[in-house]
Amino acid sequence: MFTQILWWLGIALEVLILVRSVKGNLCQKYPAFYLYLGVLLLIEVLRFSVYVFKPQFYGPFYWYTEFLATTIAYAVILEIYRQALTNSPGVARIARPLLWGVLGAVILKATLSAVNQLIWSPATTQAELERDLYTVQALLLAGIIALVAYYAVAASTNLKGIIFGYSTYVYASVISLAFGSLPGYGPRPGWRLVQPIAYLVALLIWSCTLWSYSPNLAAETESKIDRDYKLIAQQTRRALLKARSFLKMGGEL
Amino acid sequence: MRQLLPYLGIAFLLLTVSILWARQIFLSNKSKIEVQVPRKREAAGGSTASLGDLGERIFGLEDWDFVSHNAPSEIQKMFLHERTVLAISWLRRTRTTISLVMRAHLVAAGQAKDLHPVTELKLALSYLVFLILCNVLIGCIWLQGPIRTRKIVGQTLRTVTWLQGAFEVLMARVDPANCKRLRTSFDHRAVRS
Repeated sequence: MFTQILWWLGIALEVLILVRSVKGNLCQKYPAFYLYLGVLLLIEVLRFSVYVFKPQFYGPFYWYTEFLATTIAYAVILEIYRQALTNSPGVARIARPLLWGVLGAVILKATLSAVNQLIWSPATTQAELERDLYTVQALLLAGIIALVAYYAVAASTNLKGIIFGYSTYVYASVISLAFGSLPGYGPRPGWRLVQPIAYLVALLIWSCTLWSYSPNLAAETESKIDRDYKLIAQQTRRALLKARSFLKMGGEL
Repeated sequence: MRQLLPYLGIAFLLLTVSILWARQIFLSNKSKIEVQVPRKREAAGGSTASLGDLGERIFGLEDWDFVSHNAPSEIQKMFLHERTVLAISWLRRTRTTISLVMRAHLVAAGQAKDLHPVTELKLALSYLVFLILCNVLIGCIWLQGPIRTRKIVGQTLRTVTWLQGAFEVLMARVDPANCKRLRTSFDHRAVRS
């Protein structure tokens, strides 16, 4: 019963967010994110239909569609990367090798694991494959958020909502799938509820933050940057001179 | 259970950076005020030379030599206590100054097109080293007093010189004109590294 409520609430919120995106023209601003949400809604509706009309096929259908959903979720990562770093070319320049490095390391590790095993097996079960895909997403997200925070990149409320909502879902997915893949944990019904509840929390965050379009502050900063840059440079120069006067003393000690 | 550690570690990393970013967003207004603090201080009449002299005086042996030879033990204790408070306050101020430089650099770096990831990484690491050293130094002074830790202070400030060099390299890339003026206004011979 509780699962059914989560299901219906999830579908209702997805519809609400998509309707709001059309009304507020948000789908044009964040196309990849809304594509992801649209695909998820379609999957949910199809799953529900299969569950009602052909319950014997629900198990395999769930795993195939879950794999599709996890794969298409990379569109959200791309959207976050694009939206957050478009107006910060310097940070984007740092982010590119970092993110490619993360992906390269993951691919290298997967290849080495495959070479060490005699039989090629990317993942023993679908749940493990899903867990691995979400783990890579968690790494990429952590990298992007770290850079955005470190360089204090301005982000709109919409983007913050997308990032926080999706991070919540990815975090909960990695934890629940990691524990769920342990022998003995899988059959416990409690673990199966973690992911839908986290997804519902993410949908609630998105419903609030994506209610209407809020412009990216980075664009505003860019237009002001020329005016403010001289001010920052002057401030930096003053601070450096002060620091150097301290160092002068340090050298003499 | 041990095979879960990498997954839990990555999840924890994501949670940590998300919390730190959320904290930064909530404190962003406060940060804007902090950036303006040095300008106000300078406007109030503080000069760079007096700040340097102040540090030299705090960690110098002249005052301590005088007090230790001419004052009773109670006055010596009082002097050491007050000098400790002063030294910690001075170090905190130095840390704030460097943090301000770093913040200003980060604001400018986000918009710069020719940023070098390796230099940025080096800068970030040196800044981290500086912060750790500064905090360790504050701890040492709090425990041992500024007179006994005099040599460590000198060592730490020489490390800061290295950080300063990295800043200069980056400033040259971000804003060559200002960097040129900066170099000419600074007497490198004053710092013995």
